Amino acid sequence: MTQLDIVGKSFPQIAAREKASGYTKFVTDLVRPRMLHGRVLRSPHPHARIRSVDTAKAAALPGVRAVITYADTPQIKFGPRSEDWTIFADDKTRFHGDEVAAVAAIDLDTAEEALDLIEVEYEPLDYVISPIEAMAAGAPLVHDDKPGNIASEFKIEAGNVDKALDESYVVYEDKFYTSQVYQAFMEPMSILAEVDLSGRLTIRTGTQIPNMMRMTYAKALGMSPENIRIIVPEYGGGFGGKMENNIHLIASVLAQKTGQPVRLVNTRHEDFLAGNPRVPMHFDIKLGATRDGILTAKDVNVVGAAGARLVYSQVIVSTACYRVDSLYRFKNVRAKGYTIYTNTVPTACYRGFGNSQSTFVLESAMDELAHQLKIDPAELRIKNGMGPNETSVHGWKIASSGLIECIAKTREAANWDQKKKDKTPYKGIGLACCNHVSGNHPFAREFDGGSGIVRIGKDGRVIVYHGESDMGQGQNTTFAQIAAECLGVPMDVVNVAQVDTDISPFGLGSFATRGTLMGGNGVLAAAKDAKKQLVKIASELLKVPVDAVQCKKGLFSVRQSSQKTLFSGQSSSQKTISFKEVASQATIKHHGAPIVGIGFYKPPTELPDPETKKGNISPAYPFGCQIAEVEVDPDTGQVTVTNFYAAHDVGRAINPMATEGQIQGGIAQGLGWTLMEDMTYENGKMNNADFVDYIVPSCFDVPDVKTFLVEPIEPNGPYGAKGIGEPALNPTMAAITNAIYDATGIRIKKLPVNPQKLLAAMKQSK
Amino acid sequence: MKTIPMHLNVNGEDYHIMVKPNQVLLDVLRDDLELTGTKEGCGLGKCGACTVLLDKRPVHSCLVLALQADGCEITTIEGIGGKQLHPLQESFVEKGAIQCGFCTPGMITTAKALLDENPNPSEEDIKLAIAGNLCRCTGYHKIVDAIHSCTCESLKASKEGRDD
Repeated sequence: MTQLDIVGKSFPQIAAREKASGYTKFVTDLVRPRMLHGRVLRSPHPHARIRSVDTAKAAALPGVRAVITYADTPQIKFGPRSEDWTIFADDKTRFHGDEVAAVAAIDLDTAEEALDLIEVEYEPLDYVISPIEAMAAGAPLVHDDKPGNIASEFKIEAGNVDKALDESYVVYEDKFYTSQVYQAFMEPMSILAEVDLSGRLTIRTGTQIPNMMRMTYAKALGMSPENIRIIVPEYGGGFGGKMENNIHLIASVLAQKTGQPVRLVNTRHEDFLAGNPRVPMHFDIKLGATRDGILTAKDVNVVGAAGARLVYSQVIVSTACYRVDSLYRFKNVRAKGYTIYTNTVPTACYRGFGNSQSTFVLESAMDELAHQLKIDPAELRIKNGMGPNETSVHGWKIASSGLIECIAKTREAANWDQKKKDKTPYKGIGLACCNHVSGNHPFAREFDGGSGIVRIGKDGRVIVYHGESDMGQGQNTTFAQIAAECLGVPMDVVNVAQVDTDISPFGLGSFATRGTLMGGNGVLAAAKDAKKQLVKIASELLKVPVDAVQCKKGLFSVRQSSQKTLFSGQSSSQKTISFKEVASQATIKHHGAPIVGIGFYKPPTELPDPETKKGNISPAYPFGCQIAEVEVDPDTGQVTVTNFYAAHDVGRAINPMATEGQIQGGIAQGLGWTLMEDMTYENGKMNNADFVDYIVPSCFDVPDVKTFLVEPIEPNGPYGAKGIGEPALNPTMAAITNAIYDATGIRIKKLPVNPQKLLAAMKQSK
Repeated sequence: MKTIPMHLNVNGEDYHIMVKPNQVLLDVLRDDLELTGTKEGCGLGKCGACTVLLDKRPVHSCLVLALQADGCEITTIEGIGGKQLHPLQESFVEKGAIQCGFCTPGMITTAKALLDENPNPSEEDIKLAIAGNLCRCTGYHKIVDAIHSCTCESLKASKEGRDD
């Protein structure tokens, strides 16, 4: 590959200066003339029949412009995957926080007052919180037409698991549980909805999937998708949580009813109650190996709580059933997954998408196997780890893999071999690996690639249009770097347009660690198209053939290799022309039309076979290894993570500083999940639904993290890049709990491990 | 609800405004003065996104009643830099300390108060200062680094170089 000028270098985010100055307008900052404020009345019961709703008093309050309930909506069943949603609770509420009614008023105080005036008569019903209890005979039904509360089932099997387990030298068998945790993006979910005179709806919201969301909402509102425009301003984090949510539809209906713009911002409490947190899961696992530590088989049973409706939990449970199988050279695997309705907040995507849950389980089990076989845990992974140019048990074609190098890097940096030997009481070291995808064909099914538009105006300014979503991870900067590199211009002439479904390509969005690879390849294809057009103009201006023209650092010139043949030493070999001038000449020549490059990327993937689920679902697979060091206070059970080492195979890091930031942030979230975070219920109600009772890591909780970028060039990636978002967190939980095991001999099987739990376990083991 | 007159000096400008007795400073800044750089992350004083300087001291503006600030000097993120970014803001940009950026205004105002008092803080001093400011994106490393590398010298140089 030729010398890269922009890709592979660290750039601050292109929006960083606006963000640092307070200039950036986030969704919650948006205002409009005559804007109303929306508020939602939420169910105080986990499960209740709605006997009656009386909105008359609320509607009569001065300043109230609309009060709406289920009766005021189109009453169409809809949902991103399974059509079990309604915009408000219909005849019953199904979780504490379920949407019952909403108000639009001239200010928030009035809206709040109006909520108190809505009279709802509830008949509380028996409820069920645990998915295991929900499956039992006689459990209350969340949806009357779903017996056993079974929302979805998934099965996958390859090889002969029973035989392989029978023949194994050792089989580890156990139960694990991963808790329900909240994404805790710093900006709560929010929306500004407006309707024009023709009825066209414009939604401004922080969403990771603007285009797919538009299709779902069109169905819910009984509208044509073309009559809905979604614009994505800067927004304060997502981590998987900012996808479909009823507040968007409630604000839209309020805007339709009033004809005025409506802003609806979740309070933090509401965001806990009715956001879409991580799917909690119960696992049974059997993991077998030979005496030499070669993995023989894996058998798992997964039960995940969907909450009161399906967002993406069924796909997340199926992911938990099998994605992690491509981390190692498994031949025999089997999994059953059950997604179960419960009277809890609907659960969905959170960084890792089921693979983080199952990575915790598998990597804990690997640690147990290593212990039983007396094989170093790092060695056990090296023996089984998936290398480049291998195909996994599910038909995943691993083109590049830096897994073994990731293990080597962290092992060396942490001084692993020495520390495993030198035992100090209550100090421990633990290691865990991970794999992931960069795109996931079965998620959107119709297609899975990416696309882009690159527009170059008369002034030579480059504007990149994409349909993905920068939730703060820095995707726009990555795309700008890719476009700048391809076009041969400096970064400061590239802008990235905000996503607007009226203008942007139909991007699938930001999930499945797909942005850099899929969106990046789409932008690259568009930039190549634009460049081809510019080179043609430049070749005419330079009076040389097109293949003799190059552009570097904003200057078109004649390639060194072509100069000799074209000019044989004449002075015209020094001829250059600026990018700006070429762009200007192009616009003049085309009577004002800008250069517009458009392109797409079709990945070499396939939909899995419906029966066997075999099929290469992603064009690339990132890997990683993390090592945690912990100290456990024997008197209190308090765990302190003292050091952390993380090596990730990211393909080529387009922006090393941003990549490192993703890794550090992912680890902080994983640490929170492992040691602190758990959404808990009391009498069917979430009892820690705010930052007072639900503690997320502060700067003191996060250890120093040493990061290492392992960069095998991925043949399918833009400039060789894969993704990093989710793998950054996947191994963190097991790395820490394996270190706790090393320190105390206690195997943590339920997340999170708080001091009380660990102290009790340590006392019991004595 | 009746309103009460009050006076605030925000970022060097005087404002004579009418506020409701239950209105918090955060809402006055964001809604009445349209200084939306200050963010609301929790409304309970637990996330630090709403941090502003009240007579040079960092406060959670979501917990301060506007009337409590009557006659006070307030500095918000919009007042930290002048026409150019403050070196602290530059440092946040250059060090990659900003991802989604929603916690950034609160982080920077908090750090500004720290550096005004102690131009050469240790890493521990920095962590103590920002312990009440949550960031969910960065894992804090680059934020601590950005504050740490904004040294006494760069602050001094900027004071001499700036005309505001």
